[in-house]
Amino acid sequence: MVGEQCHAVRVRLSGSVATAEPAARLAAVGPWRLWVEETAVGSDEPAAHRLRAAELNRPTASVRCVLLRHRDGVADLVVVADRAVLDPDGLARLVEVLATGAEGPLPAPSARPVAPPSAAPAPDWGGGTRGDTSWGTHALDLPSGPASTDILAALALTLHRYAGHGATGDVAVATDRRGALRIEFPAGSPVSALRSAEPAPTDSPVVAGVVEPTADGAPFHLGVPADHLPCLAPPFPLTLALLPRPTGGTRLWAAYRRSHFSAGIVEAFLRHLAHVLGQFADAVPDTPVDDIELLDAAERERVVLLGRPAGPPPGAPERITDALARVTAATPDAPAVGDGTSVLTYRELDEQAARTARGLVARGVAPGDRVGICLERTTELVVAMLAVLKAGAAYVPTDPAYPADRLAHTARDAGLDVVITRLAEYPADAGTPVTPDELIAAAEQGGELPGDGGPDDPAYVIYTSGSTGRPKGVVVPHRNVVALIDATREEYGLGPDDVWSLFHSGAFDFSVWEMWGCLLTGGRLVVVPYLVSREPDEFRDLLLRERVTVLSQTPSAFSQFLETDHAPLAVRLVVFGGEPLDARMLLRWFDRHPEDECRVVNMFGITETTVHVTAQTLTRELALAGSKSVGPALPGWRLYVTDVRGRLVPPGVTGEIRVGGAGVALGYLGQPDLTAARFTPDPHAEGRRYHSGDLGRLRPDGTLEHLGRIDSQVKIRGFRIELDEIRSVLLEDPEVHAAAVVVRRDDPADPATAHLDAYVVPAGLDPAGVRKRAATVLPAYMLPATLTALDALPLTTNGKLDAERLPEPARTAPATPAPVGTEGTAAVLQEIWSDVLGTRVGLDDDFFELGGNSLLAVRISAVLRSRGLPAVPLRDLFRTPTIRALAGTGQDA
Amino acid sequence: MRLTGKTVLITGAARGLGRATALACADEGADLALLDVCGDLDGVPYPLGTRGQLEHTATLCRKAGAAVLTAPCDVRDLASVESAVALTEDRFGRVDAVVNNAGIAAPSGKPVHDIGEDEWALMIDVDLTGAWRVIRTVARAMSARRAGSIVNVSSTAGLVGYRHFAGYVAAKHGLIGLTKAAALDYAPTKVRVNAVCPGSVRDDATAEGRMLAEIARALEVQVGEHEQTFTEAQPMNALIEPGDVAAAVVYLVSDDSRQVTGSVLTVDGGFTAR
Repeated sequence: MVGEQCHAVRVRLSGSVATAEPAARLAAVGPWRLWVEETAVGSDEPAAHRLRAAELNRPTASVRCVLLRHRDGVADLVVVADRAVLDPDGLARLVEVLATGAEGPLPAPSARPVAPPSAAPAPDWGGGTRGDTSWGTHALDLPSGPASTDILAALALTLHRYAGHGATGDVAVATDRRGALRIEFPAGSPVSALRSAEPAPTDSPVVAGVVEPTADGAPFHLGVPADHLPCLAPPFPLTLALLPRPTGGTRLWAAYRRSHFSAGIVEAFLRHLAHVLGQFADAVPDTPVDDIELLDAAERERVVLLGRPAGPPPGAPERITDALARVTAATPDAPAVGDGTSVLTYRELDEQAARTARGLVARGVAPGDRVGICLERTTELVVAMLAVLKAGAAYVPTDPAYPADRLAHTARDAGLDVVITRLAEYPADAGTPVTPDELIAAAEQGGELPGDGGPDDPAYVIYTSGSTGRPKGVVVPHRNVVALIDATREEYGLGPDDVWSLFHSGAFDFSVWEMWGCLLTGGRLVVVPYLVSREPDEFRDLLLRERVTVLSQTPSAFSQFLETDHAPLAVRLVVFGGEPLDARMLLRWFDRHPEDECRVVNMFGITETTVHVTAQTLTRELALAGSKSVGPALPGWRLYVTDVRGRLVPPGVTGEIRVGGAGVALGYLGQPDLTAARFTPDPHAEGRRYHSGDLGRLRPDGTLEHLGRIDSQVKIRGFRIELDEIRSVLLEDPEVHAAAVVVRRDDPADPATAHLDAYVVPAGLDPAGVRKRAATVLPAYMLPATLTALDALPLTTNGKLDAERLPEPARTAPATPAPVGTEGTAAVLQEIWSDVLGTRVGLDDDFFELGGNSLLAVRISAVLRSRGLPAVPLRDLFRTPTIRALAGTGQDA
Repeated sequence: MRLTGKTVLITGAARGLGRATALACADEGADLALLDVCGDLDGVPYPLGTRGQLEHTATLCRKAGAAVLTAPCDVRDLASVESAVALTEDRFGRVDAVVNNAGIAAPSGKPVHDIGEDEWALMIDVDLTGAWRVIRTVARAMSARRAGSIVNVSSTAGLVGYRHFAGYVAAKHGLIGLTKAAALDYAPTKVRVNAVCPGSVRDDATAEGRMLAEIARALEVQVGEHEQTFTEAQPMNALIEPGDVAAAVVYLVSDDSRQVTGSVLTVDGGFTAR
């Protein structure tokens, strides 16, 4: 007697219908009694509505007929039936018999409902609330009555599109009579093939299904107005039915479990399903399935606006040098930049940069040229960058810590003639090295600064290392940098009272934000020497000494910084960038620095779109929730999430992040083909948009969730695995301060030897405990094979995780030869484990610590079965990875 | 509305605590199966609930918007209990909660050695075994659905002794024992079993309660005198109102108490705190 199997109808009976009439009519057609409820309330009172709803939603094992007789003489007849006893035809007929005195008999059910297939886990796009056991309904009137045979195919296609980037071309759906069905649509197949395909039974779990209409395919129909519930609880997490509208036409009805879906997502899903159904009806038969759209024009417009929040109107395009000249003119004597040994005022900065620029001109640098800069983090670095701009050229920063061949590659690729550096061992074939002193000396030989260039001139070229190939140079024009500062100045109150740290290498574009963000808003820039940036305690001392107010950090570097005593800092704004942030890490920061004292902002960004794209202010609440939101687009930036064909996907659905607007770079230096492929015309606005190669989803509120690189999704033994997700679960453990997960192969040539190695900080952690906790959340195939505790994660010079420098994972052998039991299940398990794992196993040794993985677990189960013993479910093994625990479980069972 | 969509079965619902509990459940949106013996029992020296009183409880609940089923039920008779539960399941589809409220206060008023074999057996049969019969009838279906709440109305007499009430005290102590054991039996299937222990409850006129009066009569004291004694015995210096007990029952029936099982909730103005 469960609601999933029942359906129900309510009709209004005229007051003249006496109790005896329907009771006698009922007795004539079935062995059921009529329950009469004198309600003691009027038919329009809230209590009567409640009673009607209660009766409609009360499941039965066969058929229940209830007559609610209200005080005002009006009566409601509610009939609830198990669909196995009365199908929609039978239910309609019974209501007719009771309400109008029509003759029986009732038709026998044409096909019995089958047990619903197992429910798939909540989809990531569903917006459901974990643990919510309630359910809701939603309905949408369709403009025309679609063929009910189309509903499964349309549902499958809509689900497929919602599954997002890289989803395979088959989907499991279900009906209440046919169970789970697999629907395939190979790429390029026509709509007609999908519509006429005979779905094959499958045992896959399903997320959505249809309660089928009556035997002849016609929707349930009654001659009188009625409330009709096709099911009293959704048999599938999302359950659909086509219902007749009282006024004619068809209604698309849905019941959904709130554990899986939010109301907003279901509403949108029905809209998209209806749009697909409409196109099915109208499409030419050989229209490719891929051409079917989810969004109609109006909705596309809404989604476009969602990725384009309102903000202050952008200022006129401007060169960095012009914007800085205004600041310098306003506060010439204010301190501009210092590195602990020297401080320059804005005027001094301007003068030194102008002198150096004249030196560059004297060395033959002309507007439009590119000049290399390879300097340690000192005031000199800032002067040199400004000097290059004043000379009308673009700077190409590299880090003195880079290996020689990388410096040489950059110099060659960028065609550098002049490189400002103090490196004695600067590679010979990488442009002409010149020191800042030499440039200042050269300035004495004259050399006039060029006149004004335009805001579209390149300002810098920063090299990014992609996942494949050599680093490529991203060319960013002046106006983008000025737009970035304009987009943030007001929101974050950036101004002359601020003190900014310049923590990052000039070769990492986070430094563009730190440097120009400070100087274009009149603040004081504190250059952090490289060695100080590597020592969290020294860095803390510097922040304290210089009273830094705006701190920009990568999450990896910040997690190390959090180990220091950071309580006394004067920081009022922390900006994260460069890496995905796990918001839970911030709890330790908020403990000392409540949100009203220090604002914490996570900015998702891409070098190709000028440092940042979105901004999310974080709160303790979001940190506790482990929010993955990176916020809405910055004013002037435009955010799109698209499918592989570049079409917008609905909010909530995973797709590729594409970015248009004020931050889009000019392209890749010297790579017109790559530039044309990655920077394409923006179909929704003027200009171009950049294809980020990152996965994300735009939430219905316009905030973006960043879901990692498309190519960081790895497959292990057929499972699609998202490393960031595993990392995020490890970080949920309050003891874990930082975590990293990598894929390695024991035999590089053999994909079957691929496994996940996890690293957690601090070193004192108990890996078995961390694993046990993770096992309660992660599916078995996502559990790391090894878990190694470290003092700190290795970082690159840019402050990001350096995966290459992670140590070999710790594989713990049993510390002492454990006592070996001799009896029963435990002894047998011990023998088999020892055999499979190739080491002597004690009762309390952890399967995974000994190098066990899911493949070995399968082998153990195979041996057990071959001896006629019950296999050990993998799930149990992850929860209780020792023989003692397993043997105990077995005896109870 | 904390009980919307729940069907609550209440024994001894004709009057007193049963009626107050039924009304409180109706106010919280529950639908009700109201059972009562609807007749006098041999050996009980005072009139028990009547059919008219039971229907009056039903009318009050319907006015509060509840769907109500009434049925006579003698908790001494397993067949009677089973048929009332079957009728409830037929009408409402399932029983979400049971309030084992049916009970008698007399024959009482004598020392242990003066209690007759029949008197002892009757008291245990109604006040303890009656609850067991209801539990055994509903528990299987509740366990299968992995949901359900059973509330046993015990008494402070289930926690301490009262002079000359050995049968009642033994039955109510036994009911707490049954509560705890059943709680453990059904905890794995998420069915909860709890007890409420009212202190001295005022005989409310509209609830038609008469417990206090019958206890006074058994002890051969004036009702006014007895009320006075018990008011002073309860540290909050007041008698318990039927609605106070009903509120405790509603809490235990509702999902607010979804992790509460095997508990004994006293509503006694502090009487057992001493």
